[in-house]
Amino acid sequence: MAADTTPVETGSGGPQPSDDPRPPTPSNPRRAARAARKAQYRSAGGARWGLTLLGFVLLAAGVLTILLVSGVFGQQRPQRPVLDPMIQQFLVANATATRLVAIAVGVLLLVLGLLWAARSLRPEGHPDLVLDGGTGTEIRIDASAAADAVADGASSLPGVTRARARMVGSAAAPAVRATVWIDEDVADDEVAEICRRLDAEVLAQVRDSLGLADLPVAVRLELDSAPRSGPRVA
Amino acid sequence: MRVLLRVLAPLVSLAVAALGVLLVVEVVAAWTSPGSGAGLLVPWRDWRTTGETVLWTAPPVLWIAIVAVVAGVVLLAVGLLARRHDIALTSPSPGLTVATAPRVLARLVGSRVRALDPVTAASVTASGRSVVVRARGRGEPDGLRDGARTAAAGVLDALPLARRPRVTVRATPEQPGTSKGVH
Repeated sequence: MAADTTPVETGSGGPQPSDDPRPPTPSNPRRAARAARKAQYRSAGGARWGLTLLGFVLLAAGVLTILLVSGVFGQQRPQRPVLDPMIQQFLVANATATRLVAIAVGVLLLVLGLLWAARSLRPEGHPDLVLDGGTGTEIRIDASAAADAVADGASSLPGVTRARARMVGSAAAPAVRATVWIDEDVADDEVAEICRRLDAEVLAQVRDSLGLADLPVAVRLELDSAPRSGPRVA
Repeated sequence: MRVLLRVLAPLVSLAVAALGVLLVVEVVAAWTSPGSGAGLLVPWRDWRTTGETVLWTAPPVLWIAIVAVVAGVVLLAVGLLARRHDIALTSPSPGLTVATAPRVLARLVGSRVRALDPVTAASVTASGRSVVVRARGRGEPDGLRDGARTAAAGVLDALPLARRPRVTVRATPEQPGTSKGVH
């Protein structure tokens, strides 16, 4: 779950550089990058594909009908009934095949429609982390606890006012999606430093302590609109 | 567009599933008991009679086609345009992605441009590809434009942007006419 954190005043709660000088390196950088990109937001690719496909089918059907009516497919064609006797004869002649094809199309539409509806209505999962604790032992880390570790570390960085994180993905392939609010008055070149320290200190420590060198993290930077004490324009 | 996508997707998906159910039910019903009534759930035999009598030239056919074209264009637009417009930042390692909203970039650029002395007001529109600054202020428009461009470019250079957007600056003098040098 989400956890809002406040900035830590003292530096004691901040991330400490790991004792191990070598940062945990992901085994496959390309896969790690893909997983991190995937964690950025909940994918709506399926819904977009479905709507695009349906829109294309409707558009094509409408345009073809208009072309037919305007006589592009022959001047005699628009004078025939919509349900052409020729087509009807063909369907009646192949009645069994027509019925089987119609049933197959119906089942396909039903399955696709239900899968699509389930996908678009299902809430996003926040998996717990399961660590291998040896034979017969399973260490389960609560999703919010693991995400809070990232959020707490990020919010203790200088220039960061607060941070929120949540676990996304599946239990087999967990990832962290974090939103980091930076101070509006932070210098522009400090943003790169925040990103660098986030990766080298906060995430290195979290990955190290969880034993997940590959844990993908997607960070979204936001500007915090802190209440100003003085006038906006001096 | 994202909101429209989230509303439309479940509705359209359920409509597709319902269409599949109707098709299967009607075909099976017509197969097992041929010629009984107008149809089990929908009067498709009436529709067939209508289809056999109505010609392509009938006005309703054209209207239905136009409605289909409009609906198709709307669905295509929602499907193609409802993507995220986040701005990617360079990340220090492959397992981390950093992105921000165009709004954040616009606010950063806007605050730096407004901090300039001659600028009295500024509005910024930002996307991953371009940043448009409209600055209003005192003095010569050329000087104002150069100052605003330098400030905006400074922000874009300092931020670790994966792709640097193009900067366009439009400067307007505070009091039109006074800076034209007519007198």
